[in-house]
Amino acid sequence: MPAGSPVIEDAPRRAAVQLDGVTKKFGGSVALHEAWLKIPSGEFMTLLGPSGCGKTTLLNLVAGFLDTDGGEIFIDGTLVTETPAHKREIGIVFQNYALFPHMDVAKNIGYGLRMRGVPKAEIARRVEQALALVKLTGYADRRPRQLSGGQQQRVALARALVIRPKVLLLDEPFSALDKNLRGSMQVELKEIQRELGVTTIFVTHDQGEALSMSDRIAVMSAGRIRQIATPDEIYRRPADRFVASFVGDVNVLKARLGSRQSSEAVATVGGIPVIVPAGPLNDVASGAAIDLFVRPEHIQLAPAGEAGTLRGTVSTHIFQGGHVDVYVEAPALSRDRILVRLPGVDAITRWPVGGQVGLRFGTTDLTAFPVEGDPA
Amino acid sequence: MTRRPFLGWFVSPAGLVALGLAAALAAVFQYSLRAYIPGSLDVGGFTLGNFADLLKPIYGSAFLQTVALCFETAVITLLLGYPLAYALVRTRNKALKSVILIIAVTPLFLGEVVRTYSWMIVLGNNGFINSVLMGLGLIQKPVQFMFTSFGVVVALVHVTLPVMVIMLAAALSHIDRDYEKAAESLGAGPIRAFLTVTLPLSMPGIIAGVTTAFAWTFSAFATPQLIGGGRVNTISTLVYQLGFASFNFPFAATLSVAGLALTLVVLALLKRVMRPLEKLGEH
Repeated sequence: MPAGSPVIEDAPRRAAVQLDGVTKKFGGSVALHEAWLKIPSGEFMTLLGPSGCGKTTLLNLVAGFLDTDGGEIFIDGTLVTETPAHKREIGIVFQNYALFPHMDVAKNIGYGLRMRGVPKAEIARRVEQALALVKLTGYADRRPRQLSGGQQQRVALARALVIRPKVLLLDEPFSALDKNLRGSMQVELKEIQRELGVTTIFVTHDQGEALSMSDRIAVMSAGRIRQIATPDEIYRRPADRFVASFVGDVNVLKARLGSRQSSEAVATVGGIPVIVPAGPLNDVASGAAIDLFVRPEHIQLAPAGEAGTLRGTVSTHIFQGGHVDVYVEAPALSRDRILVRLPGVDAITRWPVGGQVGLRFGTTDLTAFPVEGDPA
Repeated sequence: MTRRPFLGWFVSPAGLVALGLAAALAAVFQYSLRAYIPGSLDVGGFTLGNFADLLKPIYGSAFLQTVALCFETAVITLLLGYPLAYALVRTRNKALKSVILIIAVTPLFLGEVVRTYSWMIVLGNNGFINSVLMGLGLIQKPVQFMFTSFGVVVALVHVTLPVMVIMLAAALSHIDRDYEKAAESLGAGPIRAFLTVTLPLSMPGIIAGVTTAFAWTFSAFATPQLIGGGRVNTISTLVYQLGFASFNFPFAATLSVAGLALTLVVLALLKRVMRPLEKLGEH
């Protein structure tokens, strides 16, 4: 799948959200360039990218807070490009939660129901249900400022879900939480989302969050969607250099393109052949220099000089608890130090700093891209 | 506790000014208790008679008229200032921002007398408004704006608008745009989002603006004097007439003291009435 091209996949169910070539400009600059996206009902779709990549713009377009400069947006099969935000039936959790400070928790959660003219008794019942869903039963009378960050986020989630939205939008909802709380809230949010089966668009710049929570991820940069795929595929088969380097840690090694079959190509790194997907290398001549992208966990260390290994010098260990990050200098392969991720702690004693080691690359999950520049 | 070596120096000028003000107020209070000697600038012995004279109908009606004038001015200023402040805070158009700022703030730079004379030119029987209306054939004879409380209110609104806009803008700029977005995403149209979220959250600014406009108007002198032309009696204009036309300093002082007391009472009442509203907008 060539990166940057329109990506439309056949969804088994009807698309809950569909973007057909949606473009947004701010002044002269293009914030979102012809985004094509089809999110099936019930899916947890993440928009992942660095700040300024257009992910928040896309979210605001779906929400109706911005007008498109081209293309159409459908929600639940209905064209909503011209529909104002308050008629789109969307639930949003904002980065700062935006809980109404002058209302208590119950009033906050019931706001959307009051706007819909739901009878009082039913509002009370549904607010109670929503509080139970986010495990905040008994907090109905509190003011937002009396709640912790995590509790505020639960209220924001309950407020967005109680209206039974057609799609739930999450705008970097975890960025204001401390690390421990973030982990448990992620699990909880994912559980609630799965339980309710609500179609969700989640915006984040945190690739760890994206990989752990999503059904599919749309990786974005510079106003374009670079790849839409499952977390596993994004990680193992990145569509371009940007995706490969933005998602997860990766080593970029100097290599040469050898022979090419239909879908696979053989590359050589330091004289050792490895198999890579041929797709990204279509325009590269045989024998030309390419960049080989290798994840740190796909490199093993062996005694220096062992057959099928490449020589390097250990420069640093970093103990990470469950694993050790070993940095290896190998100027022939890479200008930067090569990161090798080894499980357990014995790597520190086994591969001392300054010692010579042999680098062995896995045979799967390697990707290669043309040197310099983006194929997109 | 941290030492703040310069604090004493910083507050001492303000302290001196406050001391001068207190001395002046004490002098006025002292005068208010003296007997008036007609035809003389000297004052007589201590008496409570001046305060008894306050009960005369003319002063009662002047008090009522002043309070009414203040309310009208404060409310109209609020209604005109709110949209301006809202646009000033929310617009991304820099030119529009500047225009609003200029409209809102220039009255502060005009002297009170210059500003009031300008309004006399605009409001007079041969003034700008009447000339235009008659020129267009909309009216046959001039509409009386001068020497009416309506004319006075118009000119006073012009003075209080800047401070109202600044106070409202300060309050509105603290309201995160996401609150309105959240309300809209939950199904509130722009008007309902404003009424249920933005308006209650801006209540502290409204209270500050109304209170200030009220207090300013209460003490305004040149505008009611010149545009009211003696037919709109406020506490300030009466104090002026008594003090500088009749040279009845003691009673002028009595009226001033009563006016000050009334201002404090009304502001305290305002605060009391608005306290529940302020709670509504608590952040």
